[in-house]
Amino acid sequence: MEMGRDLALLAPELTLAAAAMLMIVAEMFRAARLVLAIGLAGLAAATLLTLPMLSVDATVFGGTYRIDLISGWAKLILLPGTALSLLLVRAEITGRPREGSVQSLVVLVTLGALMLSGAGDMMVVVIGVVLTGLGSFALVAWPRDDAATEAAMKYLVFGAVTGSVMIYGLTFWFGGTGSTLFSELGQLQGQTLVTIAGLIAIIVGLGYKGSLVPFHFWAPDAYQGAPVSIAAYLSVITKAAAFFAFAQVLRDLPRDGGWPLALAVIAAATMTYGYLAALVQTNLVRLIAYSSVAQSGYFLMGVVALGASGFAVPGILVFAAAYVAMNLGAFAVVLLAGRDLGDLEGFGRTRPWLGAAMVVFLLSLTGIPPLFGFVGKFYLLSAAVEAGYLWLAIIGVLNSVLALGVYLRLMVPMYRTSSTEHPSEVGAVLTQGTVVVTVLATLLIGLAAGILPGP
Amino acid sequence: MIWLALTILAPLGAGLTALALRRAPEAIALIGAALGLAGAIALFAGVAGGTDITASLPFLPDLPIRLVASPLTATLALVVATVAAMVLTYAAGYMAQDPERPRFFGTMLMFVAAMQLLVLSGDWITLLAAWEMIGFASYLLIGFWHGRNGVPGAAMRAFLYTRTADLGLYLAAFLLIGIAGTSEISATLATTGTPALIAGLLLLFAAMGKSAQVPMQDWLMRAMAGPTPVSALLHSATLVAAGAILLIRTAPMLPGGALLAIGIVGGATAVIAGLMALAATDLKRLLAASTASQYGLMLIAVGAGVPIAALLHLIAHAAIKSALFLGAGVFQHDRESTDLDTLAGAGRTRPGIFAGFAVAALALAGLPPLAAFYSKDAILAAALDSPSAAWLLPLALAGSVLTGAYMGRALKVLWSGTPEKPHDPVPLMAVGMGVLVALAATLGLVFKPLEAMLGAHLAEPGWIVPAMGLAVGLAGLALGWLLAPARLLGPLLAPARDGFPIAGGLDALVVRPALALARLCDRLDSWIIRRVVLGGIVTGAQALSHRIERAEYWLLALVNAVGRLNLSLGQISLRTDRDTIDRAIFGLVDRTVALGTRARRLQSGLIHREMAMTVAGIALVTGVLLAAPLFF
Repeated sequence: MEMGRDLALLAPELTLAAAAMLMIVAEMFRAARLVLAIGLAGLAAATLLTLPMLSVDATVFGGTYRIDLISGWAKLILLPGTALSLLLVRAEITGRPREGSVQSLVVLVTLGALMLSGAGDMMVVVIGVVLTGLGSFALVAWPRDDAATEAAMKYLVFGAVTGSVMIYGLTFWFGGTGSTLFSELGQLQGQTLVTIAGLIAIIVGLGYKGSLVPFHFWAPDAYQGAPVSIAAYLSVITKAAAFFAFAQVLRDLPRDGGWPLALAVIAAATMTYGYLAALVQTNLVRLIAYSSVAQSGYFLMGVVALGASGFAVPGILVFAAAYVAMNLGAFAVVLLAGRDLGDLEGFGRTRPWLGAAMVVFLLSLTGIPPLFGFVGKFYLLSAAVEAGYLWLAIIGVLNSVLALGVYLRLMVPMYRTSSTEHPSEVGAVLTQGTVVVTVLATLLIGLAAGILPGP
Repeated sequence: MIWLALTILAPLGAGLTALALRRAPEAIALIGAALGLAGAIALFAGVAGGTDITASLPFLPDLPIRLVASPLTATLALVVATVAAMVLTYAAGYMAQDPERPRFFGTMLMFVAAMQLLVLSGDWITLLAAWEMIGFASYLLIGFWHGRNGVPGAAMRAFLYTRTADLGLYLAAFLLIGIAGTSEISATLATTGTPALIAGLLLLFAAMGKSAQVPMQDWLMRAMAGPTPVSALLHSATLVAAGAILLIRTAPMLPGGALLAIGIVGGATAVIAGLMALAATDLKRLLAASTASQYGLMLIAVGAGVPIAALLHLIAHAAIKSALFLGAGVFQHDRESTDLDTLAGAGRTRPGIFAGFAVAALALAGLPPLAAFYSKDAILAAALDSPSAAWLLPLALAGSVLTGAYMGRALKVLWSGTPEKPHDPVPLMAVGMGVLVALAATLGLVFKPLEAMLGAHLAEPGWIVPAMGLAVGLAGLALGWLLAPARLLGPLLAPARDGFPIAGGLDALVVRPALALARLCDRLDSWIIRRVVLGGIVTGAQALSHRIERAEYWLLALVNAVGRLNLSLGQISLRTDRDTIDRAIFGLVDRTVALGTRARRLQSGLIHREMAMTVAGIALVTGVLLAAPLFF
């Protein structure tokens, strides 16, 4: 009976896992279109299955996996995001070898991301990190050239080291509470050093996934080495999942351990470092990579406020939804425009609609009201202020000044006259479709933010 | 509700239509502006009875979008719509030859729509959104001729300066929303005590950026790179006005300390920007500096606790300054320059335009019965009655003398010199300018009824204040007409011409360090990357496989190290003693650093360097976590 209930609650995850398996089977027959169709159908089905469960607050398998507000909204954000990523992958590498393998790996990595978002237990976090990690390494290495191999190697080494530190540190929490469940973390009250050891583990392991400074070094290389569509996918799905996992772990931890302060320091460093480094990049993918690093800092502001502000969890969720839409959109435009900053020269004039969409994405990333990105940042800043971290909010707002400097470097050349050709590429329809969906989300959901979870 | 929508959406819709159709943009612009003006007039008539018109749309939970037409905001909307309609009429003539007209009119209209949204916003979030939109639209307009030398830089500078100041608005809005629990502007104005003081100072900071107050006056002079109608709109009722409008609207909340700061900033700007205007060698820069100076006078009025005087001067100045800019644009049209030497005698070429320019100039200097005579008197009276009269009155008087002086100088330059044969007639430009000049001359008549409608009553001025205002205005005009700036300013001339760069200006304090830091961060990452990429190309697949082997070795070593540490930590119980865990953590750090060094000997490495930084980061986090209990 218990088992049946658990499986019913896990329907979206199981659907996705089944779809991924079927995709691998279809790939054996080299039927790339079929692979894509199965993937999209699986994602759509899983999304629909999630909808009736949004108000559920339960756990399955003895409390190890949570079906709650965070994991529910995580599915509504990550699954459509993955579907759009699949379209981008299809547009970029259509007809190339192992296309179906890439598609199925993407879906499997998303499954890992869902595990992270619903983790109620240390072992689930570990499995989620490993599942997202292994697939991602292969995805980055897909082009099989020097840059991609190097990038994947670096990604792997970072993942291996941070992963082992994480597992090692988590054993302290297990020792301290006698349980791997996060819901038991309250027992750590008073055991300062044990708490700290586990915290370092979580910060290192998830900080690597979420590319927080100083665990971010792999990100620009990996994004640059990977296909643009994979960079887009990794920059949104695995990153958002890392912060959902942060929220699942830390909301049970007593706030007196000093971890909010430590995370606040990391958040400030991450956003500042990310934007400063982005300010001088000339490669478009690297520039967006560093800007995504900076966005992680904003995500972390919500984590800092967990348990101290009603805005914290909605902030992370809303910002994640906005971030998935706008970052995927920006990458989709890069896919059409080219990987170099010079490729944007005159882009807004020859392709006015795409240019306008890019401006919307960039303004939203900056956090200009009333776009979706602003709503997310507004929640996160409010959360930080309410939690007593006014200085962090000030750094966040200051960095948005810097952000505009970063993004104006993209917007200005787009409207210069230039002789650069911007030919339509193969698969442009799919990419343009992605741009349309994401730009509508960025424009409209910002205005209708009332439908999203509020404080 | 419908009039609110029309006032904001008519210019917006027209702007989008002009951009989309790329055809007949002038006609679309004029229709949009006329509809917007009709909406503003209807709003004004609607609130004249004393009841506000409001609208509320759902947005964030508990934080809906609110629009409010009160007597104050409806008046401002009417000013914006009027000036916009006239400037657009003028622009139809001015821009007739430009191939990019659809973009120009589209952006101008969207700018007007954003400004109306700002003026009519009833909650802080909408205000923030509109504030950002006018910043962005003005960036596009100032950079309209982006192909020309120096233009993108000027636009970027204008944007970054005002953006930096926007920080103040964001923080003030968050603070006020946090305290009042609502984003409704009128409700948050009940805030008192220290929060009100802090919010007031933050709002002042935001207003200083937008209204180009000292020490952030520099961007306004450079913003002259845009087309002249842009300057006319930006400097009169819109972008620059936003700062003063913000302070006028929040004036009921501001405590004494904030008022004093506002008055002093305004006074300093009135004088310093006045000196800059006097020293300017370019007509548009002269007018730009004059704008900053006039907004300084308005801030004096706010600081003296009489925001209504500031509002009257804002209205008078909007008509006057747009007329002056439009006149300057005609002269520029004739001589293809705004340099004062080139413009010598330009006024004789076109007596009609010059007459209009002169009326506006005399109005700004404060001669009766022209508009600014009344508003400037109100400011002087306010300064005289204020508790800080000792500070404010001399500054206000000095600002007024300087106003007369630089306007006198401009008139003299335009009049004395050899006339040239005029170009083609400029009917549309003359119409737009003519209406604004007429307003500049006659607006003083409506100030009394306007005061009554706003429910404010200025003290009946005796004879002293008007006499004082007239005297300083005439004295300034005489000085400016008779004496060259070099004689007037003496040693101040050079610094005034350079815009009084304080400590190298904001550039040295903000922009350059930020860029230097950015390059440093980049170098940290990028030299590693260069090695990766270059190394990869040069050494090829063989080296790659070697590297993988080494990495494996290195991983193995790390795993061993962790294992050994694990053993040594085996006995740690729930009552862990500090020594052991310290040693453990530092041991881990030491081992990893040592490993890094070894790996470095093995290969001219890459990852180990980054891993070392990662470990340093872990150590830092550990440090914070260990130290945190000391603070709680």
